[in-house]
Amino acid sequence: MTHNTGNRWSRSRLLLLPPLLAALAVTGVVAASECAETDSQALQWLDKMSRSLRQVSYEGVVTLQRGGEMQVMQVSHSVDGASSFERMTELTGQGAQVERHSHPMDCVHPGDQLLRIGALLQEGRCGIAEQYRFTVADGERIAGRNAVNIRIEPRDMYRFGYSMALDRETGLLLKMQTISHGNQTLETMQFAHLTYTDTDTASPASQVAVIHAAQHPQSGGETTGTSVARPWKVGWLPRGFAATDSQLGVSGRRTYTDGLAVFSVFMEELDREIRPGEGLVRQGGTTTYTRGMRLADQPVLVTVIGEVPVNTARMVADSVSWEQ
Amino acid sequence: MNERMRESLSALMDDEANELELERVLSLLGTDKELRLAWTRYNLAQQSLHDHQPAYCDWDISARVQSALADTPSNLSSGARTLTKNGLLRPLISFGIAASVALTVVVGGRQIAQLSGADPHGGDSAFMASASPVGMLNSLGATTVQASYGMQAIPVLQPATRTAYQELAQQRQRRYMQEHAEQAALNSPQGLVPFARVAEIRE
Repeated sequence: MTHNTGNRWSRSRLLLLPPLLAALAVTGVVAASECAETDSQALQWLDKMSRSLRQVSYEGVVTLQRGGEMQVMQVSHSVDGASSFERMTELTGQGAQVERHSHPMDCVHPGDQLLRIGALLQEGRCGIAEQYRFTVADGERIAGRNAVNIRIEPRDMYRFGYSMALDRETGLLLKMQTISHGNQTLETMQFAHLTYTDTDTASPASQVAVIHAAQHPQSGGETTGTSVARPWKVGWLPRGFAATDSQLGVSGRRTYTDGLAVFSVFMEELDREIRPGEGLVRQGGTTTYTRGMRLADQPVLVTVIGEVPVNTARMVADSVSWEQ
Repeated sequence: MNERMRESLSALMDDEANELELERVLSLLGTDKELRLAWTRYNLAQQSLHDHQPAYCDWDISARVQSALADTPSNLSSGARTLTKNGLLRPLISFGIAASVALTVVVGGRQIAQLSGADPHGGDSAFMASASPVGMLNSLGATTVQASYGMQAIPVLQPATRTAYQELAQQRQRRYMQEHAEQAALNSPQGLVPFARVAEIRE
């Protein structure tokens, strides 16, 4: 699904609100006094970053480093009136290209909503600062741009930390490092080259192997992935995580975000017994955790994939149950 | 079980708990039924991850068999002498040469389907090939090993679960990464970059 009219989306956008409001209600419980002065400065930067990512026209070259592996890609984002076009072309590896056409500018997904919390701040609440501690400092030059550095440390053990560098002028994210609890850098995403573009000047086409049109939630909540026979639910989420789309009970996937980290839970019903156990694959900042177990006499396989620690994935998988 | 306890428990399983947490969990294990259940679940999952014998498989013979097997020279009769000498494993001499009957193993009331795949321990016991369980991999969960305990044939579970589950996790990563990336691209501040984490992007 690539083409969405504003009308179609505005209906489906309403469906995103309940889970988000629920998450905000939960985070609001924490004492607002934790929201320090330095945090509000950082929060303003994150707000600006979130808008900049969707509203500024730019193109450049980005590297993604995970372990010993480095990927290079060309990215472009252009805004044309009420909608945007973005493209990512891999210059290494598979050489795939991903495009998103006609994304309405007024379509703000939960991840961005969690970062754009200006209104909350005025109410004395601090949104994502209830989950993370921030330190703002001068940054180095990245891709020829002066940067401001934001150090982001998790307040609990359920998410990773980050070190971000934002363009001092535009707020665009220039560099992002994912940092484990042991202070190890798991993944680094960084612009090597960046140009701001005024108009829709699509960069020259590279030779690509595959072109994929990025998907988008559709109104009515139809699911694009697999579905299961019985409605199921995730019983426990780390504080501050909200569902990314309106998901039917029988959809095989649930995805949650706290604004910075995202993880998805996939449910499979098995047609025969499986020996209980768990499997784990870690690649950069991404954890894939698969658990075989029984839910009310039904053998199932639950898989959690996302940019969260193993511990979080395990606890989320452990809380999965059938809807009563 | 409250949030704090859940956290302590999980930290404990990850060897990250401090003494205070350890004490708290241990003191409540006796009285809190829910905690006890969670503890069992975590342990079960954890043990298969670390290739231990699962807790529900309550005879510890298979672990000893396995370590004995590892030490056993390929010449079985000399191996038998070694084993007999320590007096521990006399009944297991015929291990590995028992009838190659495909067995469905029942452990702790749970039926575990006959599983197929290569023997990770390089033994010469025969396995019956069957369709891989839930159609996902070649060597899932336990592999049965034929053993003889006195006069009675005993199916012994070998904890091949770790390798199998790891393979399973890898397969699931390949299958689901793109769907996760679709969501991450819309809900994290990296634009389309999350797609670069997908090993092979499908159209």
